[in-house]
Amino acid sequence: MLKKDISQELQSYCREYFFSQDKNSKLYNIRLGAYELFKINGLPNSKDENWKYTNISQKIDTIPEYSNNLPVPLNINNFINNFDIMKKLKETNDTVLVFMDGSLQRQLSIIDPNKKNIEISSLNEDVPDWALEIISDKHSENSDQIFDINTILMQDGALINIKQNKEKVDNVYIVHVGNNNGFFNYRHVINIEQGARANIIELKISNRIDINALYTSSIIWKLADNCIVNNVKYQSHNQLTVGFNQQYADIGNNVEFNSFTISSGSKLLREYRSINCNGSGSDVSISGINLLDGDSHIDTFLLVKHIAPNTTSREKYKSILNDRSRGVFQGNIIVDPEAQKTLAKQSIDALILSDKAEHDAKPELEIYADDVQCGHGATTGQISEDSLFYLKSRGIPEEEAKTLLVQAFLLEALDEVKDKNTILIFSDVMKNILNRVSKGSLNV
Amino acid sequence: MFKISNLTVSIDDKEILKNFGIEVGPGEVHAIMGPNGSGKSTLAHVCAGKEEYTVLSGNVVLNDEELLEMEPEERSTRGLFLAFQYPIEIPGVTTMTFLKSSLEAHYKANGREPLTTPEFMKYVKSKATELNIDDSMIKRPLNVGFSGGEKKRNEILQMALLDPKICILDETDSGLDIDALRLVAEGVNKLRNDNRSFIVITHYQRLLDYIKPDFVHIMHDGKIIQTGDSSLALDLEKSGYANYIK
Repeated sequence: MLKKDISQELQSYCREYFFSQDKNSKLYNIRLGAYELFKINGLPNSKDENWKYTNISQKIDTIPEYSNNLPVPLNINNFINNFDIMKKLKETNDTVLVFMDGSLQRQLSIIDPNKKNIEISSLNEDVPDWALEIISDKHSENSDQIFDINTILMQDGALINIKQNKEKVDNVYIVHVGNNNGFFNYRHVINIEQGARANIIELKISNRIDINALYTSSIIWKLADNCIVNNVKYQSHNQLTVGFNQQYADIGNNVEFNSFTISSGSKLLREYRSINCNGSGSDVSISGINLLDGDSHIDTFLLVKHIAPNTTSREKYKSILNDRSRGVFQGNIIVDPEAQKTLAKQSIDALILSDKAEHDAKPELEIYADDVQCGHGATTGQISEDSLFYLKSRGIPEEEAKTLLVQAFLLEALDEVKDKNTILIFSDVMKNILNRVSKGSLNV
Repeated sequence: MFKISNLTVSIDDKEILKNFGIEVGPGEVHAIMGPNGSGKSTLAHVCAGKEEYTVLSGNVVLNDEELLEMEPEERSTRGLFLAFQYPIEIPGVTTMTFLKSSLEAHYKANGREPLTTPEFMKYVKSKATELNIDDSMIKRPLNVGFSGGEKKRNEILQMALLDPKICILDETDSGLDIDALRLVAEGVNKLRNDNRSFIVITHYQRLLDYIKPDFVHIMHDGKIIQTGDSSLALDLEKSGYANYIK
């Protein structure tokens, strides 16, 4: 039997989807542009420098067909019984947007219309002009094949506009639940207005261990001057899920953007981030923890562009790899000629617990300004025998000593999280992860 | 009390310790001096159970128990303490977490009830005060960013907390200025008692000005070639090792 080519299958999937769109819809022209590009470029392959270590066609045989085995819950009470985290969220006054089977599930979401400083609409229902402008701008400047696919196929997403609010910082949760087999495509836009503060917390989980899902999800961030944004993302997928996450952020003057991601599981997970420090005086931290086991493959790609003077960026990633998993980290910091006094630091560390696991790191700096401080470092290693011996020589049993060392390795990345409250919701999850890690198992 | 006999040890097929023997009685302080490469640090590591060495023959016995059969953690809870020449820096593990885990392991192994956190803090504070050690270091990651003196003081604090029977000090004086050396030596002297013995490994006589040994041994080529009292160290300082190494 002739093996299906995923690239061709995706081409025809995109063609079919695109030609089913209403020509009068607001997003039609944007989809058309992306479709024209995708027809030419197709799927990325290993000849593309940015995809050197990840072969998509090896990880995806075919597009999973939509299975309607698990109906979407009709009310939130049925839903939260399955998710402890949702139970906690229900008790707060936070905004919670739940996406399932390709669309926003309003009956499972918590949206308070009285919150005057938060505007929320759904991409599928109506695209306000401000969101259309952001989507359109980002599309015209970008040339990423996965982003093109996401643009052609975007089904739904949250369009969130946050205005300045002096009383309290708003927490907004974007929750993706893998509920059925299928191919789902989300596009979110987050616009933070001048002087606003917000915590945006993303949660991506699989409802069952046997769900075969393929998804693309893009977030376009626009952060106006003087805003403070804390972003925490926790994604824990089963070993069948293939996901492509893309985040684009445009950062204004004097912005604090602190983003932390915990990723575990997945057959293939591509985390692509492109951050433009357009305004001066901003401080950006992008950090995270990757936990890989089984045959998981997580590819993190970070691109930080320092465009204006006096900006700071820190990237700190820690990965733990077990079994036959593979981790890839590509980080690129570009400092434009005008971006004097840039401070940029990147560190990528991997701890390998199995001799069949592999980690590839490719840190890059492109510096065109002369008065900058930039540094990068990458380490890949096993648990240090010297450290282990030191702890054991003080009476600490081997298993406990290993736990201490693995925890220490991971927790260093957590130092980067500025607002520790944003991560409190994941504290049980973190404890659970650390316990599993110490026992040599990361299985979700 | 503590006896090493006929200990022959190799690494990468090269014999480092050759039929080494020493006997340390309760409360005694033995100094082992020797030139570089004589096997002093190997001796310390083998006693503590470091894995990279191959023990070809011999015994290391503490209070009638064979240590060579035991894991490093078991040797520690039975009462052996190695003060490292280069204490390891462990980012992400606070000194307090480390000390608490260590003490809990010792209490558990010896059938004692673990201390509560306030009891533990009080215990650490009292030991640190006794030894003139600033206990603020326990909030910092283990040995990270510690000066040479702070690292060695941290070793002495651990020694005080774990209450060992035999302490092996592996070139504790290396990397210390004279004030730090004095402070560390004072700490050791405070921990001397009738039941606790010490093996002090050093290159220089200087440390022995502060820690007075009962016996001084000269080690060369994996074994002890001369034993004497503290005057041997003074002679050695004047004449060098050449007179003793034939």
